[in-house]
Amino acid sequence: MKKIICFLPFMFVLIVLAACTNNSSTENEQPAETEEGTKETGTTSNGESKELTIAIGSDMLGFDIHNHNNTSTESIHQNMFDYLFKRDENNELQPWLAESYEILDDMTIEIKLKQGVKFHNGDEFKAEDVKFTLERVATDETLKENPNYKQIKEVKIIDDYTVQIITHAPEPSIIHRLSRLGSGMLPKKYIEENGWDYFLENPIGTGPYKYVEWVRDDRIVMEPFEDYFQGKVGEWDKVTFRIIPEDSTRVSELLTGGVDIATNIPPADWERVESNEGTSLKQEVSNRTLFIVLRATEGYPTADVRVRQAIDYAIDDGTLTEFALQGAGIPTLSMVGPGNFGHEASLYDTYNYDLEKAKQLLEEAGYSDGFEMTLHAPKGRYLQDAEVAELIVGMLAQVGITVNLEFMEWSNFVELRNANENKDAYLLGLGNSMYDGAYSVDWYRSTRMEGHTDYKNEEIDQLLADSQVNMDPATREIQIQEIQKIVAEDVPHINLYLEKINTGVSDRINFTPTSDEMLYVPTITRN
Amino acid sequence: MIKFLIKRLLEFIPVLLIISFIVFTLVFVAGDPVALLLPEDASQEDIENLREALGLDRPFIVQYGTYLSGLLQGDFGKSFRYNSDALPIVLERLPATIELALSAMVVAIIIAIPMGVWSASKRNSFVDLFATGGSVLGKAMPNFWLGIMLILLFSVTLGWLPVSGRGSWMHLILPAITLGTGIAAEMTRLIRSSMLEILSQDYIRTAKSKGLRKFLVIYKHAFRNSLIPVITITALQTSTLVGGALVTETVFSWPGLGQLLIQAINTRDMAIVQASVFVIAILVILMNLIADLLYRVLDPRIKYN
Repeated sequence: MKKIICFLPFMFVLIVLAACTNNSSTENEQPAETEEGTKETGTTSNGESKELTIAIGSDMLGFDIHNHNNTSTESIHQNMFDYLFKRDENNELQPWLAESYEILDDMTIEIKLKQGVKFHNGDEFKAEDVKFTLERVATDETLKENPNYKQIKEVKIIDDYTVQIITHAPEPSIIHRLSRLGSGMLPKKYIEENGWDYFLENPIGTGPYKYVEWVRDDRIVMEPFEDYFQGKVGEWDKVTFRIIPEDSTRVSELLTGGVDIATNIPPADWERVESNEGTSLKQEVSNRTLFIVLRATEGYPTADVRVRQAIDYAIDDGTLTEFALQGAGIPTLSMVGPGNFGHEASLYDTYNYDLEKAKQLLEEAGYSDGFEMTLHAPKGRYLQDAEVAELIVGMLAQVGITVNLEFMEWSNFVELRNANENKDAYLLGLGNSMYDGAYSVDWYRSTRMEGHTDYKNEEIDQLLADSQVNMDPATREIQIQEIQKIVAEDVPHINLYLEKINTGVSDRINFTPTSDEMLYVPTITRN
Repeated sequence: MIKFLIKRLLEFIPVLLIISFIVFTLVFVAGDPVALLLPEDASQEDIENLREALGLDRPFIVQYGTYLSGLLQGDFGKSFRYNSDALPIVLERLPATIELALSAMVVAIIIAIPMGVWSASKRNSFVDLFATGGSVLGKAMPNFWLGIMLILLFSVTLGWLPVSGRGSWMHLILPAITLGTGIAAEMTRLIRSSMLEILSQDYIRTAKSKGLRKFLVIYKHAFRNSLIPVITITALQTSTLVGGALVTETVFSWPGLGQLLIQAINTRDMAIVQASVFVIAILVILMNLIADLLYRVLDPRIKYN
C-alpha cells in the first residue's frame, strides 16, 4: 500500500497527461456544421481551416514604420501598409498605390495616385498622406530609416491625387526607395486626430490585412480588410504570426501542425522537416551576399592585388556552399545578386578556384613562403558562419597563408568595424533592401573606405560618381555592371556566396519564399 | 512586527540603488547598442546621429545620473527596440512569468513533499534510493534539454500537448514540469534531510511511544517542524525560478519576463534590461520578506526583534 502511495505523484502526472490526450483531440475536431450546411467561421465548406499561422524567430519591433530597419518586422508590416511602388514576381518595380509617374527633371518626380484607395478606418488615401509620410521620415534625424529618405527635400501636393517629390540632388534610386521599408503610407488625418501613441496601439494602413491584436513576444493577429483596393483577400479569415525564438521549438510546431510556415529552419533540422509527412523545406536565394573584406592599407600583404587574387583563388566557394552550407548558397563573384538593378549575370553562380594559380600569384608578390593574417568573423549571425570561417582557414593554409581566426560577438564585431580597428580581413554578409546594385557597389567608394580598408580605384570612383547622378536607367545599369567587373579582377573583397532562405512549409498551403524574406500573405494560398 | 516590516522595507533602498548601479554599469560596458540598431551598411555619420539622439554620446556618470533621476520618478527610460516606455512592457510580461513560476512551484511541491517525506521515513529502502537518485537526476538535467525532450515526447511523438505558446492550461503543463523539476529535486533532498533530523528528536520518540499513528507523527509533528529550512530554500528559489524561466520561456515561447530579458540582452536594449532586473530584484526581496514572515507563523518562538 505504502509503495503505491509513494508513486502517487507519478500517477498524478500520468493522469493529467492522459486527460490532456482527450482534450487535445477534442480541440482538433472540426467545428460543427451550421444549418446552412457550411462550417463556422474559420473553415471552408470542405472543412479546411481558413486560419494561417506563421512562426517567426523574433518579435516585431512596433508599428512606427519609420523607426526600424528590421526585415522580420517589415515582413509583417507589408500585409498592413502599402507602398507607392512594389516589386512584382520578377523583381520589376511596378506602380502600386501610385497610378503612374513621370520624371520632370533630375530632382523632381511627379506621381499620380490611385483613386478610391481606403485606409482601414474608411478614410480615403490622398496626396496629403504621401506628404505626411515621406516628409516625416525625411526630416526627423532620430528615425532609424532617416538615412534612406533624407535625400527627399519636399513633397509638393499638386491636387488630391498628384504629388511631386523633390530631392536635394539627382536621385536615380528614388523609385527603389519608395518600394521598401520606411515608405509604407500612413494616415495623416487619423494620426493627427488621435496622436502617435494611439496610432502605435491601433495602427491602420491601406494594406490587404488589418490589425487585430499584438501580444508582445507571443503573437500578432490580422484579419482581411474588406475594402482593400485590390479586392478583399479572402483566402484566409485570420492570420497569426507567432513568435517562437527557439529553432527546435519552431520546427516542432511545424511538424505537429501548430504552424503552417516556420522561418529560418536550421540545417540540423532540414532532413527532419523534409522527411516528415505533411511538411517540406523550401529554399530560395536571398539577397544577402557573404564576403571577406580585405585591408588594402599599405604595409598589409593584402595591399598587393596579387595577394588578394591569390586568396580568392585559394578559397573554394563550391566546397563552402556544398558542405558548410549543405547546398544553401550560390557562389558569386559580385555583391549584386539577381533581381537587383545592375546585376551582372556573368559573375553569378561562378567562382575562382585554382590552388596552383594562387601559389604562383603569392610567389610573384614575394610571399612564396606564405604569411600570417588575422580574420575576424561573427558567430551565429549568418547561416553556418563559424563553419565557413573555419573552412576558409584550412583552405588558405593550403597555399601557405596562416590565418588567425578570431570569432567575435556581433556588437563587438560592429564596434571593431566602426572604429576601423579591423585587421587583415573580416567576414561580413550584406543584404540590399533597395534592390539597387548602386548600394552594394558603394562599398568600393574610396572616400567611404578611407581608414577602413583604404581601397582606392580611380576608375571605380569615377563610375560611382557618374552613376550617382545618372537619371538614365540604361546607362546607369551599365556603369554599375562595369564596377562589378573591375571588382572581380581587383578583388577588394572576396565575394563568396549568396545565402539561401530556408523555410519550412506545411503541405496544406502553397508558399514560395522570396529573396526579400517577406511574408506577404496574399501570395499564400491553400492547397 | 510593523517595526520589523518598516526596517526591512527601508533596507530595500540601498540594495536597489546598488543593483541599479551594477546593472547600469554592466549594460554600459557591454557595448554600444547603436551598433545593433542600424543596418550593417550604416555610415559613421548615421551612427553618430543616432547615438546623439539617444543620448548615448554623453559621459557615463551623466547617463547614470539621468537614469537615476528618472528611476526616482518611476521612469525607467525608453526601450530602443520597441520605442516605448520600458516599465509598462516589463510589467505586461510579469503575469505570464508569475503564472509559470507558481505552476512550476506547484509541480515541485506535488513531487517533493511526498517524495521527501516518504524517503525520510523509509530510509535506505528502495523508495529512499528512488527519491535520492531521482532528485540527483532532476537537478542534473538542464532545463533547456529537458524542455526539448518533453516537447519531442509529448508534443511531436505522442501529440498530446501543444508545443509552445501561452493560451489554455494545456500550454502550461510542459513548461511548468520543465521549470519545476529542478526545484522539486532540490526540495526533495532538503525535505528528506530535514525530516531525518526531526525524526530522530526525542519528542518524536515520545509521540510514537504515546501510540500515535505513524501518519500523524510524521505529518503533524515532524513535517511541520521540518518546513522552516524548506521555506527558506523555497524563498531563495525565486531567483532560481526566474533564472530557469529565462531558459524555459525561450524554449516554450512563453511570453514572459524571461524571454523579454533574453531578447533585450541580445539587442542591448538597456532600458528593458534595467527595468527587468529591477522588477526581478524587487520580487526576490519581497519573497524573502514573505519567507521571514512565514517563519513566525510556523514557529511562534521566532521573534522579529
